[in-house]
Amino acid sequence: MTMAELRTLTGTWDELICPDGSPRAAAAALVERLRALGPAELQARQDLADLDILAKGITFTVYSDGRGIDRAWPFDVIPRVIAATEWSRIEAGLVQRLDALNRFIDDVYNDQRVIADGVFPVELLADSVNYRRQCRGVRPAHGVWAHVCGSDLVRDHDGTMYVLEDNLRVPSGVSYVLENRLVSKRAFADLFEKQSIQPVDAYTDELYRMLCSLAPAAVERPVVVVLTPGIYNSAYFEHSFLAQRMGIELVEGSDLVVDGDDVVHMRTIAGLRKVDVIYRRIDDSFLDPESFRPDSTLGVPGLMRAWRAGNVAIANAPGAGVADDKVVYAWVPDLIRYYLGQEPLLPNVPTHRCLYADERRFVLDHLGELVVKPANESGGYGLLIGNRSTAQERATVAAAIEADPRNWVAQPILALSTAPTLCDGDLAPRHLDLRPFILSGRTSYVTKGGLTRVALREGSLVVNSSQGGGSKDTWIVDLDAAP
Amino acid sequence: MLLSRVAENLYWAARYLERAEDTARIVREHTNLIVDLPVSVPVTWQPLLAITGTVEEFDERERIVGEADIIHFLVAERDNTGSVVMCVEQARENLRTTREVIPRDAWQAVNDLHLYVASHHLEGVERRSRNRFLDRVIADSQRMVGILAGTMSRDEAYEMLRLGRHVERADMTTRVIDVRAGMLMGERPDGIEHHDDVQWASVLRSLSALHMFHRAVRAPVSAPDALGFLLLDPAFPRSVTHCLREIAACVRRLPQEPHILPSCDVALNRLGRLSVGQITGASLHQLADELQLYIAAIDTRISESWFHADAGGEP
Repeated sequence: MTMAELRTLTGTWDELICPDGSPRAAAAALVERLRALGPAELQARQDLADLDILAKGITFTVYSDGRGIDRAWPFDVIPRVIAATEWSRIEAGLVQRLDALNRFIDDVYNDQRVIADGVFPVELLADSVNYRRQCRGVRPAHGVWAHVCGSDLVRDHDGTMYVLEDNLRVPSGVSYVLENRLVSKRAFADLFEKQSIQPVDAYTDELYRMLCSLAPAAVERPVVVVLTPGIYNSAYFEHSFLAQRMGIELVEGSDLVVDGDDVVHMRTIAGLRKVDVIYRRIDDSFLDPESFRPDSTLGVPGLMRAWRAGNVAIANAPGAGVADDKVVYAWVPDLIRYYLGQEPLLPNVPTHRCLYADERRFVLDHLGELVVKPANESGGYGLLIGNRSTAQERATVAAAIEADPRNWVAQPILALSTAPTLCDGDLAPRHLDLRPFILSGRTSYVTKGGLTRVALREGSLVVNSSQGGGSKDTWIVDLDAAP
Repeated sequence: MLLSRVAENLYWAARYLERAEDTARIVREHTNLIVDLPVSVPVTWQPLLAITGTVEEFDERERIVGEADIIHFLVAERDNTGSVVMCVEQARENLRTTREVIPRDAWQAVNDLHLYVASHHLEGVERRSRNRFLDRVIADSQRMVGILAGTMSRDEAYEMLRLGRHVERADMTTRVIDVRAGMLMGERPDGIEHHDDVQWASVLRSLSALHMFHRAVRAPVSAPDALGFLLLDPAFPRSVTHCLREIAACVRRLPQEPHILPSCDVALNRLGRLSVGQITGASLHQLADELQLYIAAIDTRISESWFHADAGGEP
């Protein structure tokens, strides 16, 4: 049996290995195990994990030729490790951040103090595509609009963890955090036994508790449902998974009906049944054809009426996406200071806002050294990575920026950290990010770790599963816990 | 609490899974029968098309009316919604949208079967591997039913699965009786030995009923006894009487519905008045037709009352 060689990239932080080849403290036990097992045995465990995923039907859907195809979830058996001490600092930073974002959303739909006080420019709100005037004056429970947030974290070459973006609309991926753990436990059962790796299972209980906390006050035992666009949605697996784990109904728009008193019901074999809380996984614009896109067949006519009347809670609240915007992102440190009177615990990536002429000039002059992003795309589409782009791609983006400057921001190119990843039977460093999930209702909760997404192609920085990305289990290892 | 849409998917998942199992069983038994009988007995593969109600669909395809094409059509054809491979696929698709109400193991069992069938369906056509393939389909369907029986709460979702299974089973038993028994009791060419004992045993075996028949009847297989067993036996799980009683039992455990129980009673009364000794080929065919109509009416009522009750459901 050959010892596994664990390589790193020069100038890049590796999550498991120090530049001198020694393991990082929290990863010591894992690295020792990886070296002892060797690539062939690791590949055997990978093959078993792949079979496990296929047999369990853990899938995601990709679109090709207008057809949805159910694909097995791509999983790399080698976990990513973070020390518990570091994680508790990150947790606090994520909670702080979401708290400020929620106050911001509540403010822009109500008093707009942040604008009156000159902290946030009014013109940005005026042309934000995710600002919903239908939400003006609504006061959701606890003042919370974004109840489930998936924030993307990346680590630069010096080890600093940055928040790259906050997904506040319908963030997905949490089901794979839980599934990855089940698969990873089988592959490395001995390591789970011998050290303290924080469990991730509590998420669905916490999610259910949070959703119940949103129910209209008079309701004693709220009926909570998950609303899915249906089986052809790329995250359908997750919608079903969450409904299963919470033991609640998974409904489609056509299962719901709003009556003349603005109350939401679902159609059951015993007639209509009142619904109190909807965890919706449908975009705002499809939610209610009466209020948004009239051609939407996925939504529920009258749902906005019922929500505005306070008869049903919707998570995330309609309009919460106003803060899910790469332009608002640039203001988050200011918003934290403004609403909470605190310094941000987690740094933002320095962000150039093309809205401002001087910053735009800088971006246009340095396209080759920046990552340029449209403000309202997700899934990694429309992204320009300067040092990997062609002159023609840069020209196209420059024209797009000139045409609609508000819609573009740019950031320095970070050297995304790596971790050893099994590629064709060999261990190689691959770039990754991390998406933890933050819940906010009456109280807050952060997943223990999150979804580590890894770019499987050599040198690639694109981690999205729709574009060839894979995933890893994320271990929060508590070194102080008694063995 | 069961959503109407989910109820419909469960009902159809159970029907498709049962249909896959039943089709596998009649194909397996017919293959065995043809091996058993001397070449002098005129036995063809067409009755399989008649039992599955696909004679016209098959004819439209202008294939050769022989073993290879017929078995391919019934087992492996993606263009035939009733083929084993498509029944399994449709059962899986229906269950994929109901995973939140069925046990996780049950989903995995049907997913396993789907993966197997999708990659091995051609083995079900080749005669030397056919039995192995069909055995696996039957065993996995039974495994699924076992998982449901052993791990699923007796809630509305369970009753909906059970309902679908018994509607499909009643339908299949009736069809087998109509076609296979009908042929044995109808007019046949003179002058050759028909080996009726072998043929009647085969009818029973195509419903996995032979062993239980022997235990219940304790006599050589005869036409009236076999018919009586398959139509009237209260204890055998594939007899029409038993299936109808199961349907009624499910209906009593589901939200109130005024039409289905009376339909079951009418069908059961019809069977109760039956004197199996006097059945002829013609009267058997008429009886099978009537039973098919009762079953179709029950199916329609299930759909109207629970899946598409919009008239009563709209506020």
